[in-house]
Amino acid sequence: MRNSGAVLILSFIAKLISQAAGVSAPGKPRLTSCRSPEKETFTCWWEPGDDGGLPTTYALYYHLENSETIYECPDYRTAGDNSCFFNKNDTSLWVNYNITVVATNALGKNISDPVEVDVAYIVQPNTPENVTAVVVDEDQGPFVRVSWEKPRTADTRSGWITLQYQLRVKQKKDKEWEEYDAGMQKYYNVFSLHPDKEFMVQVRCKPDHGFWSEWTQTTYVKMPDYIPRERSLWIMITIFSVFIVLILTWTLNVKRNSVKLCLLPPVPGPKIKGFDKQLLKSGKSEEVFNSLVIQGFPPTIDYDDLLVEYLEVYDNEEQELVLDSKDLSEDCMKSKSPSDCDSGRGSCDSRTLLLEKCMVGREGSRSDQHQYSQHGETSWASTESSECQGLEPGSPEFSDGRVKTWPVVFSSPQPHHHYQVEAVKPVYHSVPEILNHSSPHAMPANYQNLQHQDIPQQEGRFGKPACRHSQSYTHGLDTPAPGVSPSRSLEYVEVQRINPENMLLLRPLSDQNREPEGSDYAGEDYSKVKELTSNNILLLQRDTSYQCADGYSQAGQCTTQQPPHPCKPVIYQSHSGMPQEGMRVMGNGYVDTTVLMPSY
Amino acid sequence: MSRSLKQVAVLLVALLCLDPHSRVSSAPICTHGPSGCHVPSLADLFDRVIQHSARMHSLSNDLHSEFEQYFLPSKNSIGKIYRKCHTSSILTPNGKENAQKLAREELTEVILKLLMAWRDPLFQLHQSMAHQQDFNSFSSNKALEMGDMAHELRKGVEKVAEKMRVLGMLGNSVTGLSAAETMLPISDSGEAMSNYELLYCFRRDSNKVQNYLKILKCRIVPEHDC
Repeated sequence: MRNSGAVLILSFIAKLISQAAGVSAPGKPRLTSCRSPEKETFTCWWEPGDDGGLPTTYALYYHLENSETIYECPDYRTAGDNSCFFNKNDTSLWVNYNITVVATNALGKNISDPVEVDVAYIVQPNTPENVTAVVVDEDQGPFVRVSWEKPRTADTRSGWITLQYQLRVKQKKDKEWEEYDAGMQKYYNVFSLHPDKEFMVQVRCKPDHGFWSEWTQTTYVKMPDYIPRERSLWIMITIFSVFIVLILTWTLNVKRNSVKLCLLPPVPGPKIKGFDKQLLKSGKSEEVFNSLVIQGFPPTIDYDDLLVEYLEVYDNEEQELVLDSKDLSEDCMKSKSPSDCDSGRGSCDSRTLLLEKCMVGREGSRSDQHQYSQHGETSWASTESSECQGLEPGSPEFSDGRVKTWPVVFSSPQPHHHYQVEAVKPVYHSVPEILNHSSPHAMPANYQNLQHQDIPQQEGRFGKPACRHSQSYTHGLDTPAPGVSPSRSLEYVEVQRINPENMLLLRPLSDQNREPEGSDYAGEDYSKVKELTSNNILLLQRDTSYQCADGYSQAGQCTTQQPPHPCKPVIYQSHSGMPQEGMRVMGNGYVDTTVLMPSY
Repeated sequence: MSRSLKQVAVLLVALLCLDPHSRVSSAPICTHGPSGCHVPSLADLFDRVIQHSARMHSLSNDLHSEFEQYFLPSKNSIGKIYRKCHTSSILTPNGKENAQKLAREELTEVILKLLMAWRDPLFQLHQSMAHQQDFNSFSSNKALEMGDMAHELRKGVEKVAEKMRVLGMLGNSVTGLSAAETMLPISDSGEAMSNYELLYCFRRDSNKVQNYLKILKCRIVPEHDC
């Protein structure tokens, strides 16, 4: 009891002292690897642990599987430090060895972890020997033949070990090795090495179940400088290219012309109309240049071409006057009523002959609007009250306060008021006249605006005033506008041109529709705008003589003025409330604003 | 017409029967070597057998490492194999000298014994692997293939032995294995060995077989590869 206690105390003190002195029991050693080079012997190496500051001895112990007998390592020296070498007598194959290493020093010992080893599976042969690499010159080109020998220790002769070999080649500057498997043979031919270069060769081997050996020392070999003579390949290439060249040449020859066209596109020669090259060559420049002169250049402006407009006028239930003309262009743009311009009854953006100015914000005068449809009396004033002043006789219906294209087309007889033809002879510029043949009493609703009197006895002469000139209407309510019976068919009046006197020359479009009704239509084709008065009255001038129908109220000018000049001014006036702004055509004529602009 | 044909046939048969020499007897297909069909030489036979054993061993190696990888994560653990392999009763040379000391006949016999001993255990192994859910079909197929290979190898070695005997290289001491030689893989404690143990043991034994065959070959036909 006391002894044990004393021993304990002593050991404790010793430990403390040793710790204070920095010495301790050894650390745990560790078996690193065991290897057999020829499957007959093997060696195990361990790694010593911390020696604890004291000299430490290591011992290796082992026991075979299923046997408790522990043996110690027979040879600690042959294989070097920290190793144990098992010779042939101590090596048994296909038996597990249980190996441990014990480190002992003055203060204690430490045992490593046990390791199980079966010698048959830890074979790592030595490196092959006598590696030689020679350059062999052959017809196809030189190659390198590498040969070697088996490692001395490996006994392949008895079949105890079978080795397979591997070699690798590279140039000095290369990073990667080129590896080749040689199988069990002891030589290898390396082809396709670059000429005039030095190569490094290494070989290693492996048993059928085991580890690869180390690579041998590098063997150097230098390839000779040679030109690879791959004759057959070059011959083939040459033949092939010759063949292709022949084909190309033949193709080019066949397609000579198109090639020429492609490469050298023809330069287009000068093409001047009337230019005669021969003349130029002959040297007569005058003739040449004379031929260039084009007769009739510059072209005279034919306003007919410019100002052709076609009014699509048609009658509808509400007796809207639809004007497919440009008069409404401005109106439409300015008018606030939505649907007019796109009513499809006419294009609004064309510049009509009839000049008008849209009165913006003339809503106030809307009250003046009357139902043209009803009476047709409403003066122009009412029309003017709308934003778009309009024009015309046959005034557009201002139900919505805008000028609508007034339907000149009298499609159906309507119980509308007839216009007094005589009194009013609207000149429709670019207004197609649709004559209602059905009944003479067919009153164009359009004209109702002009008058509110039915003129049943009117012959259908609407639409086509006897005097085909712009008539002046008085919009007076009481003005019995002469019913203008539409004559026959649609007629379009168009502004032909503007003469230097700023007159709008109108002419009907289709003369063929005109019935020879005698004096009514005697030669009256157009009327031109004579002038624009200060109160924005468009004076239309009548060029040719015409016969005035009776019944013109204020259009009696035609009679009166006839003698003095062939042209009869037609005055469009708006009597009541006609705004003075802008220019309005009070009659049936439309003046194209663009044409008349300069006249302002 | 038919009558005459019949008569001819009868005559022919009679002639054949009457001829004492024309007896139909079985003859080997290739009685003469080079003139007849190609007869594999002993070296060829050995090569085939050795290749077969190499394949068998690699299969067993694969299965074993698969097993170790998936079912025994701890390598080098103590007490990995407690039980002996059932073939440990067969005396096998465990070194080169020992193997070279053995006569050819004994060596051949050892090989055959080993192969015979594994016939049933391999079948059992395949059965148990097929039943277990852990193995995929690939592994159990490998086990089946292994069993077939062992069987074939045994047959091949028997043929080699036969050939050697014919060539006079082998004495007549090599006899067929008796039924008593077949062993059951029962360990000392009487329990059946686990799959892993079976695989471990078979891997080792296939290595032995391969090695012994090589030694035998290089001893008998040392021309090439030796």
